Amino acid sequence: MADILEVKGLSKQYSKVLAADSISFSIGEGEIFALLGPNGAGKTTTIRMISTLLTPTAGDAVVAGHSIIKEPAKVRENITYLPDEAGAYKNMTGIRYLRFMAGLFISDIDKLNECVERAKNICGLGERLEDKIGSYSRGMIRKLLLARAVMTKPKLAILDEPTSGLDVLNAIEIRKMIKKLAAEEKMSFLLSSHNMLEIEFVSDRVGIISGGHLLVIGSASELKERYGAENLEEVFEKVVNENEIH
Amino acid sequence: MKFINLLKKELSELITVQMLLGLLVSLGIFMALGSVMDTTIDEAVEKTTNYTIRLIDRDDTEFTQDMIKSIENDGNKVRLFTDTGDDYAAILNSNDIKDVVIIPKGFTEKINKAQKPEIITAAKMTSAATISNINAGSSSAVSLIQKYISEKVASMGGLTEEQYKIVNQPLTVRENTVVADNYAEVSSESIMSRIAIQNMMLPIIVFVLIILTSQMLMSAVANEKTDKTLETLLSAPISRGSVIGAKMLAAAIIALINAAVYMIGFKVCMGDATSKISSSAGELISGQVSVDEGMHQLGMALGGMDYLLVGLQLFFTIMICLSVSLILGALINDTKNTQSMIMPIMMLAIIPYMISMIADINSLPTVIRYIVYAIPFTHTFSAIPNLMFGRTTLFTAGLIYQIIVFIICMFFALRLFMSDKLFTISLNFGQKSKYKAKKRRKSAEK
Repeated sequence: MADILEVKGLSKQYSKVLAADSISFSIGEGEIFALLGPNGAGKTTTIRMISTLLTPTAGDAVVAGHSIIKEPAKVRENITYLPDEAGAYKNMTGIRYLRFMAGLFISDIDKLNECVERAKNICGLGERLEDKIGSYSRGMIRKLLLARAVMTKPKLAILDEPTSGLDVLNAIEIRKMIKKLAAEEKMSFLLSSHNMLEIEFVSDRVGIISGGHLLVIGSASELKERYGAENLEEVFEKVVNENEIH
Repeated sequence: MKFINLLKKELSELITVQMLLGLLVSLGIFMALGSVMDTTIDEAVEKTTNYTIRLIDRDDTEFTQDMIKSIENDGNKVRLFTDTGDDYAAILNSNDIKDVVIIPKGFTEKINKAQKPEIITAAKMTSAATISNINAGSSSAVSLIQKYISEKVASMGGLTEEQYKIVNQPLTVRENTVVADNYAEVSSESIMSRIAIQNMMLPIIVFVLIILTSQMLMSAVANEKTDKTLETLLSAPISRGSVIGAKMLAAAIIALINAAVYMIGFKVCMGDATSKISSSAGELISGQVSVDEGMHQLGMALGGMDYLLVGLQLFFTIMICLSVSLILGALINDTKNTQSMIMPIMMLAIIPYMISMIADINSLPTVIRYIVYAIPFTHTFSAIPNLMFGRTTLFTAGLIYQIIVFIICMFFALRLFMSDKLFTISLNFGQKSKYKAKKRRKSAEK
């Protein structure tokens, strides 16, 4: 499996806080990798650096062969990013928003229409797409944004808390969609979440991050076996405690 | 008790650091305006109470000499100047005076023939501010001469019908206005009336444009930031420069549409008034020119090039607003703060706007004058008066200063947008910092 993302010693130092400390991991083609950690662990900082929104103070990451430091524009052509609790332009209709966002990635009108059709099918909002986003519920906005994030078939989709704000049934639907896209379209995903159950279900591999350090990497089953735990929550607790002791 | 509890909660929500800062800034502005008012009022009082009557006696007869002596005996300060020809601008400029009353040749002869005599006045206009153009000396001289002639003619006894008319209206005053090296036979009052109408509306339009443009862009940036649409946008394959450029251009286009609508409205609203002022002034005395003609002769009428320069200055004013708004918008992390964040721009617009309405900035005390000049929007409000009164150096310096301010503001705005600070910086007036809150929590846990 060729690596779509290779993160090499990525660090981010804010004036007083080291938000990410030498983070290294890689994601293969069609792989779903999840960064797991509590609030303030450094997940979003790491994701923002890979999305070229923040500049690392050390290290580098290579997305589809392009360095986030040397070729950020090329990196952005290969990724999509869905921030946690992101909104959309309230005065636009859902369909107008999809067309606008697709237009930032694609110039060819046929490909653009194809892309928007795809998003329409994925989000399942039907005729509500003709309504202004201001009238959508939080769950509807999240579905629209998720459809937006995958409609261009990026090599790497970066989703920060993908199911936040969604009810159980919608969350299950989204998880299934992510798995399907990875399997069928060979799309790679970098997820971040503090929902252990979700991560256990959806991801191929997990990286547990705390205090800016990536403590351990492995598949959910590997980690459970390694730490003699019944679920990822227990793994997480043991990993964090172990890290504090040492 | 429950009500007091509620009241306390409402007050604590309303009394914020932003509000207190706003009050302090407003107080500062009122103090600054008070100081400007003091200076201008002192100047006006000085002009109206301690004036000198400046005369040129071309007739130089026993009658005129007696008349001047009588004016002096009434307790007025009179200075006589020698004649230097008919160029009134040269007369005022060579003698370094602001106004003069000329008694022409044949003045006494006309009175003796029971004809209405003429006097000529020349007054210099240096600015568009009303207070700066008070010429107490010449208006007093005119009324004193009128009074003297009325008394003299009335004391003759056995008056003819013509002489009665002279007693009632003893003089024809030919008023001349001087601006820089030009003069025109038009009263400075009618020119002031015309300028007053322009000065009333144009600064309001500029003021509204400054506030409107700033608020539009600031809200646009702040909303993108708080809704996290900015993160989505900037992770797409487009440059940050394009995002900023599109936002600035959109705000500038809307500002331009607004400016065009206001200007058309202003033209429709004021078209009739200005033409009426021109025609009524033209009918005052035969021989006097209309306000339009007068302004043309005085070099005050603005041509195409002048309007182009004013437009250029307005463009840079809007660009300064846009670049400052980009910075302020990026600092907002709660859209509720947009109103408070626009305050610095609003204050920078209010100060020169109000000062330009009441006083001539050039005649302010040096320190205050330079403080007011340091505000970039001052040069926008004074652009038209500067061009009207031929102060091209001041206009050019103002324009260059605005371009420099714009380059500096844009440099910082671009640096902010190209850096990580766009996502990490924020101004939270009155909110405890996360660092302090964390520290407090830790100490509470211990």
